Amino acid sequence: MSPYDLLPRFKAQYDANNQEFSISGVVRPQAIDELGPSIALLRDAIGRVRGVLYVNVRRLTQMNNAAFHAFSRIIIDACRARPDLKFVVITSSVVGWTSRKFGRLSGIEPNITVEEYDSEFYPGQGFLEGGGFVPILRTQTKMTWRHERAILPRHGMRPGIVMADICCGIGDFAVLVQKEFQPSRIVALDHSRSSLAYARKVAAEFDIKGIEYTYGDASEMLLEENQFDLVTCRHSLQVFNRPELILRELFRICKPGGRVYITNEKNSHCLGEPRADSIQWTYNEVAKLWAHFQMDIELGPKSRRYLTEAGLEDIRVESFMVSNHDGDPQDFADVIAAWENVYAGEMATKRGDTPAFIRRFRQGFQDHIFAALHSKGYAGWPIWVASGRKPL
Amino acid sequence: MEPVHHDLAGGPAFEPMIQIDMEIKAFVSVWRHCDYVSTYMARMISQNRSDSVRHSNLFSSAFNELLEVAFRTRHADGELACRVSRHGATDRIELILPCVPEERRFYEEAVSQVAGIEARERYLNSVSGDLAPSREVVLLELAVDYNATLRLEEADGDAIKLVVDLPLEGLRH
Ligand SMILES: C[S@@+](CC[C@H](N)C(=O)[O-])C[C@H]1O[C@@H](n2cnc3c(N)ncnc32)[C@H](O)[C@@H]1O
Repeated sequence: MSPYDLLPRFKAQYDANNQEFSISGVVRPQAIDELGPSIALLRDAIGRVRGVLYVNVRRLTQMNNAAFHAFSRIIIDACRARPDLKFVVITSSVVGWTSRKFGRLSGIEPNITVEEYDSEFYPGQGFLEGGGFVPILRTQTKMTWRHERAILPRHGMRPGIVMADICCGIGDFAVLVQKEFQPSRIVALDHSRSSLAYARKVAAEFDIKGIEYTYGDASEMLLEENQFDLVTCRHSLQVFNRPELILRELFRICKPGGRVYITNEKNSHCLGEPRADSIQWTYNEVAKLWAHFQMDIELGPKSRRYLTEAGLEDIRVESFMVSNHDGDPQDFADVIAAWENVYAGEMATKRGDTPAFIRRFRQGFQDHIFAALHSKGYAGWPIWVASGRKPL
Repeated sequence: MEPVHHDLAGGPAFEPMIQIDMEIKAFVSVWRHCDYVSTYMARMISQNRSDSVRHSNLFSSAFNELLEVAFRTRHADGELACRVSRHGATDRIELILPCVPEERRFYEEAVSQVAGIEARERYLNSVSGDLAPSREVVLLELAVDYNATLRLEEADGDAIKLVVDLPLEGLRH
């Protein structure tokens, strides 16, 4: 037996406040006594709760039939002994077998319901995941790539590495990396099925091989630990209300000695000439608007702190300015128009902003576009890049 | 489109992907072998599936159950062979294991029950029943939850060959 065999590979917990029993990890016992403490915990929980007991299996990656039967029996027996009690089993859409297997329980006992946890991952998800944003993400990646391709090698990018792009969106970055740097393997993960479908379609059309697109939740990934030389997560920490949870996962899947690479914005530092004041006012308001929805579009310069607190070392931070002079100024203008559309549209309306506010808010975006397209104008969008090494 | 090959029996030909052979004695000496082998093979064969991570998780889950069944079989001496091959959306697991004659009868019976129409009901009854899942129930579950089809084929000597087709790519999200 190797020492590894002795490590517990699963964890059971009971949270009395939420009446929630959860079990996570890999549960493949040979004999049921190996589950003794967890079974006792479940029984104890059942004895204490009133009304509903939540059984959370979202982070359960594997469970053999022997263990499944042992836990199911206790729940089924409890339903029979206490008709007042209801069970809600919460599965994850990411782990393919759990909803099917646990779903059978509701056919056996009507007091058991099974819910697939799949929505509301971050507060602003609805705004940004709508299909309309896709062309803009493409344009944004095209503009940032001009800078990032030169920056990436300073953060651990090189041919032959194994890398993961977490929150990959429509996958353009993975494709560009593949072409330019030829890593040996790229896993690209996102929690939007429509984005992944789009990414797969592009890969198939252009006959791009070697990128594995996978559906997953960045805050609890099925990927194993210590796998990747480089883990990238671009423009995404800023959309989560608790970015440290995502960082913990990025850290976990990174190899010791490998690097975690993140890019983020500080939107209040978007700028332009002419009409600088109006532009600045609007982007300050963008930051407040995002904060209202618990997202931090100002995260960029905080990267150093986040990476350090995640346990990374040798932190490197740099920034670059995407401007209207990178390529076609119309691309820049298109991106701003899309921002205006979402921020001054759906988001401002949802916050309940007045028509007067929205008018002024829109004006700043229009002025930014004006600056971008002006023959003597300058328009900028700053990005912070940061990476850190996982200690050996 | 992938070219379709046909073997002599007229069925579509499965392309071999990976094979592991182990001494039965060595295999049954450590329970964790089931987990190691299923996880390792799942990872190896899933990389070119449309969703490699999800496929690997599902495959490992199903394959581990099969290995646990093989672990609990009363064996003759000899070798356990695990082979995975692929045709389109279907992955085929072949387990060749030496076993004593009554074990052969167990497998024959179990496989015919899996194919039966009441498979699902039998499985549900077992979940609410008292007994820990028997090996037969474990095989039933593969059919019920993974849409697996199972059959037995002739193998040399005291061995049997269990063939399990898993259409995991088609399993709904
Ligand atoms: C602002 S986009 C950035 C996309 C891409 N990295 C880029 O630079 O274009 C944020 C991405 O995070 C994804 N996302 C949101 N919540 C997620 C979660 N819990 N797990 C994985 N991805 C998630 C969204 O689907 C979206 O594609």
